[in-house]
Amino acid sequence: MIHLTQLEHLTRRHFLSKCSVGLGGLWLASQGQSWGASGARKKDPTQPLLPDLTHFAPKAKRVIYLHMAGSPSQLELFDHKPELIKLDGKECPQEFLAGKQFAFIQGVPKMMSSRFPFHQAGQSGQWISDRMPHLEKHIDDICVIKSMYTDQFNHAPAQLLLHTGFPQLGWPSTGSWATYGLGSENQNLPGFIVLTSGGVNPDAGKSVWGSGFLPSVYQGVQCRSQGEPVLFLQNPEGVSQSLRRRTLDALSDINQRIATEVGDPETVTRIAQYEMAYRMQIHASDAFDIKQEPEAVHQAYNTQPGQESFANNCLLARRLAERGVRFIQLFDWGWDSHGTGPDTDLTKGFVDKCNQVDKPISALLQDLKQRGLLDETLVIWSGEFGRTPMRENRGGVEMAAQGRDHNPGAYCLWMAGGGVKGGYSHGETDPIGYEAMVDKVSAHDLHATMLHLLGYDHEKFTYPHQGAMHRLTNITKTGTKVVKKVIA
Amino acid sequence: MLRHSLLVTFFVSTLQAGELSFNRDIRPIFTKHCTACHGGVKEAGEISLILRDKALGEGESGNRAIVPGDPVQSELMRRITSKDPDEIMPKPKHGPPLADEEIATIRQWIQEGAEWEELWSFTQPKEVAVTVKKADWPKQVLDLHVLAKLEQAGLSPSPESGKAEWFRRVSLDLTGLPPSPEDWALFRDDAAADAYEKAVDRLLASPHFGERWAVMWMDLARYSDTKGFEKDPGRTVWPFRDWVVRAFNADMPFDQFTIKQLAGDLIENPEPTDLVATVFHRNTMNNTEGGTDDEEYRLAAVMDRVSTTWTAWQATTFACVQCHSHPYDPYPHEDYYRFMAFFDNTEDADLNDDFPSTRTANDPAQQAQATKLEKDIRAVREAINDQALAVTAQINDFKMLKAAATKASAATGGIAQNADGVFVASGTNPTSSSYTLTFPAESFAAIRLKILPESDDPKKWGGLAAVCGDFHLWIIKPDGTRQQIKLREVIADSLSGPFDPNEAIRGGAPGFGDYPAQRGPRWCVIVPEQAVVVEPGAQMEISIFHALSCNADNQPSILKKFTLEASNNPALVQFIASPEHGARWQQHGAMNGQLNAIPGTMVPVMTERSPKARRDTRVFIRGNRMTRDESVTAGIPEIVQPPQKTEGLTRLDMAQWLVGDSNPLTARVLANRLWAELFGIGIVETIEDFGTSGTPPTNLELLDHLSLRLQKHHAWRIKPFLRELVLSATYRQQSKASPELLEKDPRNQLITRGPRQRLSAEMVRDQSLLVSGLLSRKQFGPPVFPPQPEGIWKSAYNGARWETSQGEDRYRRGLYTYSKRTSGYPSFLTFDAPSRDVCTPRRINSNTPLQALVTLNDPAYMEMAQAFAKRMTTASPELPAQLQQGYQWLTLQEATPEVITALVALHADAFAEYNKNPADLQKIAPSAAEAAMVLVANTMLNLDSALTR
Repeated sequence: MIHLTQLEHLTRRHFLSKCSVGLGGLWLASQGQSWGASGARKKDPTQPLLPDLTHFAPKAKRVIYLHMAGSPSQLELFDHKPELIKLDGKECPQEFLAGKQFAFIQGVPKMMSSRFPFHQAGQSGQWISDRMPHLEKHIDDICVIKSMYTDQFNHAPAQLLLHTGFPQLGWPSTGSWATYGLGSENQNLPGFIVLTSGGVNPDAGKSVWGSGFLPSVYQGVQCRSQGEPVLFLQNPEGVSQSLRRRTLDALSDINQRIATEVGDPETVTRIAQYEMAYRMQIHASDAFDIKQEPEAVHQAYNTQPGQESFANNCLLARRLAERGVRFIQLFDWGWDSHGTGPDTDLTKGFVDKCNQVDKPISALLQDLKQRGLLDETLVIWSGEFGRTPMRENRGGVEMAAQGRDHNPGAYCLWMAGGGVKGGYSHGETDPIGYEAMVDKVSAHDLHATMLHLLGYDHEKFTYPHQGAMHRLTNITKTGTKVVKKVIA
Repeated sequence: MLRHSLLVTFFVSTLQAGELSFNRDIRPIFTKHCTACHGGVKEAGEISLILRDKALGEGESGNRAIVPGDPVQSELMRRITSKDPDEIMPKPKHGPPLADEEIATIRQWIQEGAEWEELWSFTQPKEVAVTVKKADWPKQVLDLHVLAKLEQAGLSPSPESGKAEWFRRVSLDLTGLPPSPEDWALFRDDAAADAYEKAVDRLLASPHFGERWAVMWMDLARYSDTKGFEKDPGRTVWPFRDWVVRAFNADMPFDQFTIKQLAGDLIENPEPTDLVATVFHRNTMNNTEGGTDDEEYRLAAVMDRVSTTWTAWQATTFACVQCHSHPYDPYPHEDYYRFMAFFDNTEDADLNDDFPSTRTANDPAQQAQATKLEKDIRAVREAINDQALAVTAQINDFKMLKAAATKASAATGGIAQNADGVFVASGTNPTSSSYTLTFPAESFAAIRLKILPESDDPKKWGGLAAVCGDFHLWIIKPDGTRQQIKLREVIADSLSGPFDPNEAIRGGAPGFGDYPAQRGPRWCVIVPEQAVVVEPGAQMEISIFHALSCNADNQPSILKKFTLEASNNPALVQFIASPEHGARWQQHGAMNGQLNAIPGTMVPVMTERSPKARRDTRVFIRGNRMTRDESVTAGIPEIVQPPQKTEGLTRLDMAQWLVGDSNPLTARVLANRLWAELFGIGIVETIEDFGTSGTPPTNLELLDHLSLRLQKHHAWRIKPFLRELVLSATYRQQSKASPELLEKDPRNQLITRGPRQRLSAEMVRDQSLLVSGLLSRKQFGPPVFPPQPEGIWKSAYNGARWETSQGEDRYRRGLYTYSKRTSGYPSFLTFDAPSRDVCTPRRINSNTPLQALVTLNDPAYMEMAQAFAKRMTTASPELPAQLQQGYQWLTLQEATPEVITALVALHADAFAEYNKNPADLQKIAPSAAEAAMVLVANTMLNLDSALTR
């Protein structure tokens, strides 16, 4: 079996070493070539982020994933359950408890209906609570999947499953697969950018945007809305941009001599990478400078330059999307509404979290639409699992605040743009919103669908690792399907 | 169609008779076209082309797929040449038909007798003599093998490198540091015939040797200073890192190195530090997130130990076998679980405190005593229980207690007794709830508690813990007065888990039972201080309080099914009261006191459970732990030459087999790994996969020679082995690559030139520290916190902060940097260091703009540039000479006049700019000349020749 790494070195690398920067991938793309059934691909390691070929015409060029870390309650936002109102305050029937694992619920908890009223909105009449009035304006653009489910009931493994297809650490993330496949449209910025807010990284840490066994260049680059957007992007204190340019000229000059002397192709690559770093300094600084935006935009997003906030990250997501970044992933911490105190009370902290994200998400969708980017940008919003229709009773005791425990059985996710059918609700849960029942969608189905929208057949988009051709959708799982109904 | 069949008819193999090799010519065709359906995962039609017996035997249809010597009678030939879409193999939907040449090759192979070969890596390595034309080139036997391949390819070796090129390369390769000016001068000026040998011996004797090679091993050992997952809390395992450094420095033979790490706890006469070596397999992750299933993550750790052992020692993708038989290689599904049984019986169980752990004494002189005390304490405790068990065995009149009333404290739960005497819990009885059971009292001298699993089917055991917390017993006299009975001791069926059974009667403590998962039925006998005599009409009340939570402290560990029995036999009361028994407890207490008086650090280790508490290892159907199948005993797959002994194999037996004479893989895997470290690419490129799916060796004769040399001649000692490698003519070639060499040997797999590799993440930092004069050569001890940007650590529910180290700890070698799984040291990650979540057998070097940003802009590198500038300035009064000196420190090479001119010009421009811009200047250095020098130093640390070796 010929290994990819060999192919990489033997083929395109050789071609590209004689070719000026940026030509190779575009040349291949212009030939309209496809990879064929084998899935074996030739990737030039010196230009790993060049735009590349897909299996078929993509509907989405890029992804913006808004992850509400901790998992917002579907029962307070999108999954309207009139039956649960009737059961509110009653003891949970045994049938719902037998054989279940909970993170914190002990004993027999009480059922709890949505803390907020629901109504139908827009032309499509999709159900939504009163917590997201701004997002509601886009209800006909979004497709709510109510039947998401997982088999992980703890945050870190569930986040890993959702973003890498495996509940363990060490597998490549969706964003790294996408950038491995598609490269990036902007060679002066990382192809896969991660932005976090809420003061804490997601539970599974940086592994949720790791590259696993894919080359490390495809891992997500965590950028920041406060301070240097990319680590070490700025010149050290006392080194001006003109001096930096002068340094790089000297470096390039000497490295050219070394290249001639030793003949190592890596030296030539290194010279190019230093130049790219220089361009990244300029382009990333520009991309992350939201002060350039007019006041009306700041009003719409509720942004305040210089802060670390979800609102700033939403605006950055739009600016990065405009610049051709392939995968933009936002994590917002603080959605784990257990009811252990005001911050995690569904009627207090949860309300604040909704208010923090409602306007910026709405502004992002509006902004993308106005700029003609929404059609080619797949926007996804979700947590990592759902929450129980029972009120949490930590240690078997009812708590003062109102919260819900983790529920792997059902959660809501919505998508917009990027070839998705707007104004459509997909799937149903049982009458109390506990388990997905109709048109169930797993993380693997989601991944297959995302890859499909990006132009890939998930079964053929593979990479050799540990003796098998691995894929994002986990080769040990069977029955994974593209969710065709959500595609426009 | 006609044309096609004509072609087939007339196409004959171009190979001569007898030239075919199964491994070279046939296996790749099977792997490409057939084994997806006729392999380990699927055996369609009961045909498998990876197992000799299945390939050459009868298929489902009764036909033989391959009849040696008779292609016409071979079903396989009929199928691959069939024109019928229902008959042809591969089936049209699975892939295109075989090429005519492939068909001809298979026909010839069958015709010649279908000689089967096992994959090269399963056969014993053998020494093969080779002849070469350029006989004056080789310095070692290994050179002969390299040269033979070059000559076959019509190539010749590159000229020998200059002294400087070789010396810098070998210094970085062996110690991870470039040579100091003194080291260089010593070698440069040594005109003796054995100058190279002496230089290598100095490097091998350097205390920094172990630090460089420990990094390689720490990637395999998935060493990290944290536990992983959500909270990713800290874990004290640095004594293991120090053990590895010391082992490499002492040139511990690899067989001992292996045995100590895999089974250091089972060695009969261990060294005091052998237990610390077993941290190797305690580097698995531990999930402390609230509510995680401890048994699930215990098994995840056990399985990680299996795959790490196979990856690191055998370069085998054994993890595949967890769910099904191996797709390409002859490993049956059940063998995964037989091998897992070696690791399934250790005490650790994903507990938040990393139980069990050992004490590493702060003072090495006390280590032997601490280790001995730990062992003796355990032995005395076992002896106490065993003697009591022997007495217990004499009691055969335990009678089931039938309750008059039962009560559960939780409103949501219940407890009731069935007619057969078994108490069964119902509803939900949370942590801190209790059962109160009232019985008609009878005189007694011992109470037996049996804790039963919920199911009678052993396949379903392994659920939540069941622990009897506080056990209290009262006698209620007919007049209503209550007398609490003093309980003295709990005798357990076995001692296992984190708690002493006596804690069940000591109030507020964890208790007796299976924790954190219920492995199966358990029993204990609770002995009162004195035999209890009751008057007629009295009642007895027993209360069982559930003190404990399992699953990261969030789920109750209640008794779900149990029985209570009583006996009036006073044997145990008498035994417990005997002076001998008391003396043993005193001894136990005294030894604990001595141990606790030894200051030290607790480190998690491997500890085998006692035979009485052995876990029942079962096959998991399709790898799912929830669907447990038949029980298995520990064993090793047939194909890799297991030991003769098959009964009662232990982890120690397994470790000895790995490094035993019969194992065909270990020495090859190690020799290949060490080769790849020096040459940048393995003889088998996939150093993690020596199976069918890996890359075949580019030079099997060389690999076999090296593995035999390492295992036999050097008796597993790594230093003399590396010595031969770096002194070889092969390694001494210059690394210059001409366009012709790049064309013919693009990746230098034939070694047509000397290796040229980018420095590893740690080396990039260590070298910059060294040449700037900042490097601290301090060794060992707790990890350090060199400067890191603000806001990198943001783990959930973890208040740990990165407190930048002060003093020399700021400038320690990279391997001492605190390594956090979910948030690695940023500049290391950028230079391809792994997060070490799992065993990482190979770092794949990337070349990215983010690396440039690190070495140009990271304040840590700017600090080094400032120090480097100062050092250069003091070397000479003249700028060109300063730069020349700096360049030589960095690369050992003399800079050409053009390079010096370029650097001088850069200095001049920077000088002019800083004179114009005093605000910038002040941020870097006191004067414009010094600031300009810092900028030049910063540039030099980024030179390609500095970043490579």
